[in-house]
Amino acid sequence: MRTVLYARDLTVKLGGKVIIENVNLDIKEGEIVAIVGPNGGGKTTLVKSCLGLVNVSKGYVEILGLQPHKAIKTGKVGYLPQKSEIPHNFPFSAIDIVMFGLVNVDIPEKEKLKRAKQYIHYVGMGGFEKYPYSKLSGGQQQRISIARVLVSEPEIVFFDEPSTGVDVVAQESFYDFLKKIRDEKGITVIMVSHDVGVVGKFVDKVAGLNRFLHYYGSPKDFFQKHVLQKLYGSDIELIIHSPECVACEHFHADFKGKS
Amino acid sequence: MGLLDLPFIQNAIIGGILIAILLSILSLFIYLKNWSFINVGISHATFGGLAVGFYLGISPTLLGMLFAVIIGVLIGYISRKGNIHEDTSIGVLFSLSMAFGVIVITLSPNYNTDLFTFLFGNILTISRKDIIMLSVFTLVSIIFIYFSFRKIMFCCYNEEVAYVSGINTTFYYYSLIVIIAIATVLSVKLVGVILSSAMMIIPAAFANQFYWHYKGILAFSVFFSIAMVLVGIYISFILDLPSGATIVFIYSAMFVAVVALKKLLKKG
Ligand SMILES: Nc1ncnc2c1ncn2[C@@H]1O[C@H](COP(=O)(O)OP(=O)(O)O)[C@@H](O)[C@H]1O
Ligand SMILES: [Mg+2]
Repeated sequence: MRTVLYARDLTVKLGGKVIIENVNLDIKEGEIVAIVGPNGGGKTTLVKSCLGLVNVSKGYVEILGLQPHKAIKTGKVGYLPQKSEIPHNFPFSAIDIVMFGLVNVDIPEKEKLKRAKQYIHYVGMGGFEKYPYSKLSGGQQQRISIARVLVSEPEIVFFDEPSTGVDVVAQESFYDFLKKIRDEKGITVIMVSHDVGVVGKFVDKVAGLNRFLHYYGSPKDFFQKHVLQKLYGSDIELIIHSPECVACEHFHADFKGKS
Repeated sequence: MGLLDLPFIQNAIIGGILIAILLSILSLFIYLKNWSFINVGISHATFGGLAVGFYLGISPTLLGMLFAVIIGVLIGYISRKGNIHEDTSIGVLFSLSMAFGVIVITLSPNYNTDLFTFLFGNILTISRKDIIMLSVFTLVSIIFIYFSFRKIMFCCYNEEVAYVSGINTTFYYYSLIVIIAIATVLSVKLVGVILSSAMMIIPAAFANQFYWHYKGILAFSVFFSIAMVLVGIYISFILDLPSGATIVFIYSAMFVAVVALKKLLKKG
């Protein structure tokens, strides 16, 4: 299968500090990969370096066989940034946001509107086209933003903590939704998440990042004591016992068995 | 002979309308980008250029533009890098230019009237030449904004996402700054350097009290700015007040009144 993201010795320094170091990745077409790790572990920085938003200090990264600044020009790369606060007077409607995804797509305005509406439906937000984006709930805003990413029909997408603002009860169905996107569109999904437990159930690969890439492989082998300890250090207890950790059920059993 | 037959009144009205349109369109971007500080910086810096031009007997407008563009780009660069505490450096930069301007202009003979004109505007000084420059610049700016509107709005929404979508965000960032800098200089005769920034900050913020969507904000602020400028010119002429101060006073007073009224209605 084709490699869509390839990183060798990828190292990024910000403000004189090494944030990620010697990261090697080889992500195949159609995979759904979760980048997990503690807060401040460099997950967002890794994503940004793949998109050309931060400078690489050493090593290199290629998306779809191209350097980041070239890859983004193809329109085949999608990006949902980590959610930041929306000002209360944010003057855009839901469809405005989705239409942004089509600025560099060369089709007539009428087609754009049609397609934007299609994708709003696709993410389950039909009827909210003219609604103020700032008045939507956190989860609804994320859905609209995902429609904005998908509407340009990218081949690879980066979602930075897409479940932010989605309430805990809806988390699982939200991840189901992301998986459905991958299944139906066949696109590669690279997603940052800090809820390891939930994510384990839905992804093909897990990348455990805390400055170094401590783990890259199947979610099954990820839930081992030594892996988690290396990644999270003393925070390990917090992770395992968090109520959101769905995959920890099987993990608890393993954990007891192995320790 | 009516008021409207006087050539300088005609110039003032045409110039005023053009400036109202230009500045209120720019106010949308300044409002969305939270650029009021950058904008105040540019308008103060402009003063240095105007003063030097005035002192040397070279076109103050031209030198003002040069100053405004250079300092605007510099301020933009600093706040984009964001590694120095940006407010401080911008503050020092525009204070320097403003103070320098005041010193230079004070050294010139008869500086009083001109200083006042530069600071607060004087519609009687708007000439045919100014009108031509304004028309050309307003037209060029509107054409540019019209064709890149959604791209600029995308940058206002989220610059990093816009960049990843293949938009040349750096180009639009500096284009907007240059347009704002030149617009500032061209509006000096009507509103003065100090208050030109007010004319780029108030319109969108005021319109947002009535409309939540950017299209409504844009339409209302253009319409209302034209009205305010015309009323301001009329009153300033009748009462012999500086035009800029009159316009900005009415506009800000209106803004304060509306905000206060909304607060009261919410409570009641
Ligand atoms: N522009 C920057 N300059 C200096 N340090 C930064 C910058 N951006 C992020 N960092 C630091 O890099 C580290 C990793 O940040 P980030 O990639 O956002 O982590 P994560 O997404 O895993 O929470 C943090 O310690 C953060 O403070
Ligand atoms: Mg992050």
